[in-house]
Amino acid sequence: MASCIFFCDSKGKTILSRRYRNDVPPSAIEKFPALLLEAEQESSVIPPCLTHNGVQYLFIQHNDIYVLTMSCSLSLNVAQVFSFLYKLVDVLAEYVKTVQEESIRDNFVIIYELLDEMLDFGVPQITETKMLKQYITQKSFKLIKSAKKSKNVVRPPSQLTNSVSWRPEGITYKKNEAFLDVVESINMLIAANGQVLRSEIQGKIKVKSHLSGMPDLKLGLNDKGIFTTDDSGSKMGASSKGPSIELEDIKFHQCVRLSKFENEKIITFIPPDGDFDLMNYRLSLPIKPLIWCDVKIKVHSQSRIEIHCRAKAQIKKKSAANNVEILIPVPEDADSPKFRYSHGSLKYVPEKSAILWKIKTFNGGKEYSFAAQLGLPSMNDIEVPKAKRPIEVKFQIPYFTTSGIQVRYLKVHEPKLQYQSYPWVRYITQSGDDYTIRTA
Amino acid sequence: MEKKLKKFLSNATRVAPKISKKGELFELRNGLVSPYPQTRKDAIKKTIQQMTLGKDVSSLFPDILKNIAASDVEQKKLVYLYVMNYAETHPELCILAVNTFVSDAQDSNPLIRCMAIRTMSMIRVDKILEYVEIPLRKTLQDDNPYVRKTAVICVAKLFALNKELCQELGVLEDLVSALEDSNPMVVANAIAALSDIYETDPSVVELPKLIQQHVSQFLLALNECTEWARIVILGALAEYTAKDSLEAEQIIDRVTPHLQHVNAAVVLATIKVVIANLPKIQVNVDSPIFSKISSGLVSLMSTPPEMQYVALRNIRIILERYPLLLSRELRIFYVKFNDPLYVKLEKIDILVRLVDPCNLKQCTLLLAELKEYAMEYESEFVSKAILALSQLGVKFSEVKFVRKVLDIIVDLCQTRDSFQDDCMVAMCNLIRHTGSEQDDMITQVCSLAQVWGSTESVFQTDYAKCNYIWLLGQYSEKFSNIDKSLQVFIDSFTHEESLTQMSLLITVVKLHSVLPGAMLQNLLNLATTSTDELDVRDMAIMYWRCLSLEGENETLINELCNAQLPQVATTLDAFSPELLETLLRELSLLSSIYYKPVSTMTRYRMRTTNAVKGKQLNELQYMARDEIMKNMNEDNLLDFDGESNFAANATQPSSSVLSDINDLFDFAPVVPQHLQPQSQQPVDESIQGLSLHEKHGSAKTSQNSNTQDLLDLF
Repeated sequence: MASCIFFCDSKGKTILSRRYRNDVPPSAIEKFPALLLEAEQESSVIPPCLTHNGVQYLFIQHNDIYVLTMSCSLSLNVAQVFSFLYKLVDVLAEYVKTVQEESIRDNFVIIYELLDEMLDFGVPQITETKMLKQYITQKSFKLIKSAKKSKNVVRPPSQLTNSVSWRPEGITYKKNEAFLDVVESINMLIAANGQVLRSEIQGKIKVKSHLSGMPDLKLGLNDKGIFTTDDSGSKMGASSKGPSIELEDIKFHQCVRLSKFENEKIITFIPPDGDFDLMNYRLSLPIKPLIWCDVKIKVHSQSRIEIHCRAKAQIKKKSAANNVEILIPVPEDADSPKFRYSHGSLKYVPEKSAILWKIKTFNGGKEYSFAAQLGLPSMNDIEVPKAKRPIEVKFQIPYFTTSGIQVRYLKVHEPKLQYQSYPWVRYITQSGDDYTIRTA
Repeated sequence: MEKKLKKFLSNATRVAPKISKKGELFELRNGLVSPYPQTRKDAIKKTIQQMTLGKDVSSLFPDILKNIAASDVEQKKLVYLYVMNYAETHPELCILAVNTFVSDAQDSNPLIRCMAIRTMSMIRVDKILEYVEIPLRKTLQDDNPYVRKTAVICVAKLFALNKELCQELGVLEDLVSALEDSNPMVVANAIAALSDIYETDPSVVELPKLIQQHVSQFLLALNECTEWARIVILGALAEYTAKDSLEAEQIIDRVTPHLQHVNAAVVLATIKVVIANLPKIQVNVDSPIFSKISSGLVSLMSTPPEMQYVALRNIRIILERYPLLLSRELRIFYVKFNDPLYVKLEKIDILVRLVDPCNLKQCTLLLAELKEYAMEYESEFVSKAILALSQLGVKFSEVKFVRKVLDIIVDLCQTRDSFQDDCMVAMCNLIRHTGSEQDDMITQVCSLAQVWGSTESVFQTDYAKCNYIWLLGQYSEKFSNIDKSLQVFIDSFTHEESLTQMSLLITVVKLHSVLPGAMLQNLLNLATTSTDELDVRDMAIMYWRCLSLEGENETLINELCNAQLPQVATTLDAFSPELLETLLRELSLLSSIYYKPVSTMTRYRMRTTNAVKGKQLNELQYMARDEIMKNMNEDNLLDFDGESNFAANATQPSSSVLSDINDLFDFAPVVPQHLQPQSQQPVDESIQGLSLHEKHGSAKTSQNSNTQDLLDLF
């Protein structure tokens, strides 16, 4: 089990710490900056776990800080530790917005309180922000309030240890609404010759629930989903008949009754209040590039570089891609750019050593192009090898899901209040964090 | 109305403690005893801030402690925060608060009960444990599950502090019965506490037996608790050995829904349980359970990089048992350009391992991908990619394919001017696999090596050098000027590492009939006299003896030199069966990242020496008092200039502090009355000394600019 949590700055110096156990000597943290430095000097491979003198250092990086935990035992569950560290950062973000050195220094009291509540003797306890907020009241201005109405003493909500540990009782809304966002992020790797090497859809159903009481929700998705194909229920979604889509590794928020889904293929849940991600899914079916770019780069060494780019929106005529951004890398020492283009805006971004082409709306079936020329210095230093960078593409396509998944219904049932509710659904397809085209 | 307004004002007035550089502690102390609640609270916060910055504010302990009795929970929490921090480093101070703890442990607010018991069990003083007993017992039986789950952990804390006492108190039995608690979180924490105790001392609790007995409870609790509790319970389930195949199947059925959990650690814990039970049941290769595991593992690839790293290291272990588990998921493991390097390297390793060696199409696909990686610039990444190319060639094994791989590597050598080391090793691996029949490949490699050999010190690593020398010896007929190339290495013999030395020895002995005699003599001399490597020396002596034998000398030497090396079947390293078995049981643990089972590591149980262990309570009080007085003295001396206006009545606050401390000491009847006057004396003396000092100081300061302040004051 984790011995302690440390927040360190970018150099590895402690900002704030909480020790839970006594097995790691207090001096061990002093070695951390040196260890980091040593690892950096030795090679560019710095794994997230380092060992020194029998002490294990496990850490993640977030903004300008390291979140670190230490242990002396090899029987520590690392998966749990990393998962927890990320959760910790998430929870802190709910309290202090951006988690960085400054915000940690400003909010030490609340962070101490949270650390004590979330981890006990190195065992993760309660990390549900909605519930934590009930009894870890935040910041000084709230403290005055609670001092005034001193009768209203903070107590741990009884739901904390219940089976529905994520929703307090007694929530009321005038208008009962639930908003569903189906967001599909496309990750795609395309070779320079246009061949699609890897493509996947990372889907997510986000829910914003403004519902009173303890509603029980049931979500129905369309036929193409996983829910009707297999009667036996033993083999998830792997049906060979018909063109049905195989949603792979679906992941649910902890509020979804997993065994009910496993046995009956029905998604039922009591939602937490407010925003949360109901489910994630992944599909790795071959799809053709939604935004296709054909880039030809000609390098005339020591004089200039020519770039010709053709981009095409390979989507339905009536839909359109918004905020399309195409980032094409150029050598770091390029200068004096000259552009010719018909659509969008084109500019040279020296700090990224790239050309950025922005197109506000890109209608389906349309094809745009540009030509650019940049000068290269005639004198060349010894060539410093740099990482080969691919072309990155970003876009958003509203009212459209690539997989074809659709929400059929969202039934809301609240046994006591019996109100009417309004579910809203939106669809959007966007580029994932890795939609790239390799350069030759 | 007026009353209300007054009340509002008194609550709202915040006399913010001004922090002047010299008088911080003094200001804070003033704030802590302020009549305004909000000011006190702010002062506590400021104190905690100082503590966070690493300043020693332990001298404020008594003042802080006075605020603990407040009805305001917020304030109480803050005080506990402060106390808990010093529970570690200044346990003797915490004992001052023991009475408050005991009474708080019976508070009506569960939050306060928890804080009290949690803090108490953290104070590393033997004597306090006597006070812990009753509150701990009570809270273990508390109505509120929130309190119970905290108390359960406290047992483990207590055990870590004092094993014997913990056993004497008999709370371990309570802990065991908590396994049957109605609340799943209490169950999970009880498991966590028991495993912790079991790890320190396996003789105290029979964890394996307990797990055997409680499996049904665990399975029941699993569906109704937080993600973290699930991980703990799944961890315990993985330790369980099913009685028969039916039970194993049941367990697998019950846990598999958790493969769909959003928390990656839950998924990995589930996979661990499934894998532990798989050998028990009869499954064929295309059983749905495998596709479930596979999709679970694949889902871990869309998590943060650190998590991916854990997953990849674990996949490496799982693949060794079930090599074809992920062969359909090749593309998922393709390297993304924004992956951190440590993930990239693991991914390449996994790619070669998971590929199906009977599937030409897939292997060709991977070959093209690896070639792409070899064109990158990060040197570790390229080295790994080149190695992976040769591994893939050897794995697919078909001659045509190997030739393709070789062509790619030769191509690489011509376009890139570093990485000869890696290319050399890769090429040698390939021709060692195909054997001597593939003459064209050997010629290709040798001619390349010939070119390299002519430039000095192309090879940097021991491993590459050793391969190069092996190549010289094995296919000497393909090289010209072989004696020259070898002479270079003989000249630098003493600087080389052991692999190169050995390889050189073998090659020169093997070629002794072709090479000039002095070379062999020279090398044998060097190897027997000027190396620290025992193996190298022994080998040289052995060769020397053989060479100097009479009679059947020739045949023996021939046998020695021309022995056929076995064909290299695979260049992927593998675990021994026992190691693999252990690692599969330790999936998701830190040991699985290092591939070192928990049992092999010497355990560093470094406990900071506990200075206060075994001392009597009254001694502790002395220590506490001394420490506070000492700190206070230093503090006062330092703060002197800033507070000369207080100098006139300086003794007053100090003595009031003293009486405060004495008040605090009155908490327990344990303090023998007759000790009191004795202990009073030295402190009084020090106070006198202090006041003398202060008078002196005030006389001085009154002469300088501070006089004005004093005048203003009056």
